[in-house]
Amino acid sequence: MRVLDESGKSVSAGTTLALKDLGLPVRGTDAVLIVFWKGL
Amino acid sequence: MGAFETGEACQEWKDEYDLPFPVVPDEDGVLFRQLTSGWVPWSILVGPDGEVFFSENEFDEVGYSAAMARLFEEGSQAPPQPVSTDVAPAPGRPSEAATIVILGGGVGGIVAARHLRKRLGSSHRVVVVDRSPDHVFASSFLWLMVGHRREEQIRRPLARLSRKGIEFLREEVEEIDLDRRVVETGAGELSFDYLVVALGAQTTPETVEGFSEMAYDLYSSDGCRQIHSALEAFEGGKVGIVVTSMPFKCPAAPYEAAFLVDSFLRGRGVRHKSEIHIYSPEHQPMPVAEAALGQAIETMLAERAIHYHPLFAFESLRPETREIVASGGRAERVDLLIAVPPHQAPDVVRSSGLLGVSGWIHVDPGTLRTQYEGVFAIGDVTAIRLPNGKSLPKAGVFAHDQAELVAKQIADEIGGRECRGRFDGKGFCWIEIGDGKAGFASGQFYNDPEPRLRIARPRRIWHWGKVAFEKWWLRHWF
Repeated sequence: MRVLDESGKSVSAGTTLALKDLGLPVRGTDAVLIVFWKGL
Repeated sequence: MGAFETGEACQEWKDEYDLPFPVVPDEDGVLFRQLTSGWVPWSILVGPDGEVFFSENEFDEVGYSAAMARLFEEGSQAPPQPVSTDVAPAPGRPSEAATIVILGGGVGGIVAARHLRKRLGSSHRVVVVDRSPDHVFASSFLWLMVGHRREEQIRRPLARLSRKGIEFLREEVEEIDLDRRVVETGAGELSFDYLVVALGAQTTPETVEGFSEMAYDLYSSDGCRQIHSALEAFEGGKVGIVVTSMPFKCPAAPYEAAFLVDSFLRGRGVRHKSEIHIYSPEHQPMPVAEAALGQAIETMLAERAIHYHPLFAFESLRPETREIVASGGRAERVDLLIAVPPHQAPDVVRSSGLLGVSGWIHVDPGTLRTQYEGVFAIGDVTAIRLPNGKSLPKAGVFAHDQAELVAKQIADEIGGRECRGRFDGKGFCWIEIGDGKAGFASGQFYNDPEPRLRIARPRRIWHWGKVAFEKWWLRHWF
């Protein structure tokens, strides 16, 4: 399993994402869906 | 997560729509750049242990639902990865009278068929199946759009392949049965020993409400003819070129279209009364490549007073007011609209079991093998992840080289030889900028950590290079 930031670029299926390190407001152990959007 | 949005904007949106989930600003686009391939919308599904199950543009119905199902039904099992290149030939694979079925008569299908025929003896069958009677050289659609080509000039009958010892079956592919190793067509079943899926990407303008009333399809020959007629009659106003979703074929096409429209309207003496606007969900033109390429294109757009609107998350069309609408309600009125329609894997592929979580066929990047023995996929129907996390662009140049390699592998396997060749991700493209000039980019897309490309400044010679390539292609392969 590759680790995020090996390439410093986009994350792909199969990699591991440390949500806490990204500063996202996520708690607990549930799955998370992140959607990037623009034009709010 | 609001890409390049402020906290205030996110809060307003959360309040307005009464959203029950956090809406987080990514004001400087730091996470957007780190986690996505550079366009919106982008969805990432993360499991309880941090494993990423899905990371794609849009919410591809099949791929996304498959990822969700795996997450909730099978725990944190890793998603399928491209298979190893060391695939042993299947026991009992015929060495004297094999049938190789190629689905699709586009660039990849034709090149694969011709190379297989050249490499294999006459006891082996090479069969191309396509519902269309003709091959249409799609790279020339842009010239069709500005009247530099007529459709009959870029069309060749696929039946001509029979002169080369290749069987052509003009039928719809109705089902791919990988267990029984047969393809169902309108003419019945076709058994295969080897299968090459080269069906390309299916465009679905019908999935955008109002498309037929308001927009011209840049990705069909009919649409390009209509654009030409509309440009001939255009007396000034606002021309819009909109990318409705990602990914799409030929990443330079919307930008080339803008350059050619600019040149065409100048030739007609109405450019000074016109505006040209490009609306795209990408954060820069051709984001798979280094930023320098995108910046070079942006500079050329600005020099021609073509307005570029990146990160435009297309949502819908309003034909009654001639408006393009983005997420959040931003609406842009246009007088003439050229659109890149949504793309997806063809229906028969979507129901075949070949599809990966991306919504496209996942293959080994070097051999183009799927996880099914003796089944290959090439060209636009595939999704190949590059070392930088982005996807290999959908372009004919890659389908061509992949087809040659797949033909060699099949022929070597049938002949009992070891095939050491691998697809290396090299590619090139011309970028038409109008006035008889083109730019040229070439390089190595598999380079780690980023594709390594060289960009040549626009010149007349590159345009003629593209013309020569078109002539060679249509003469050489038919």
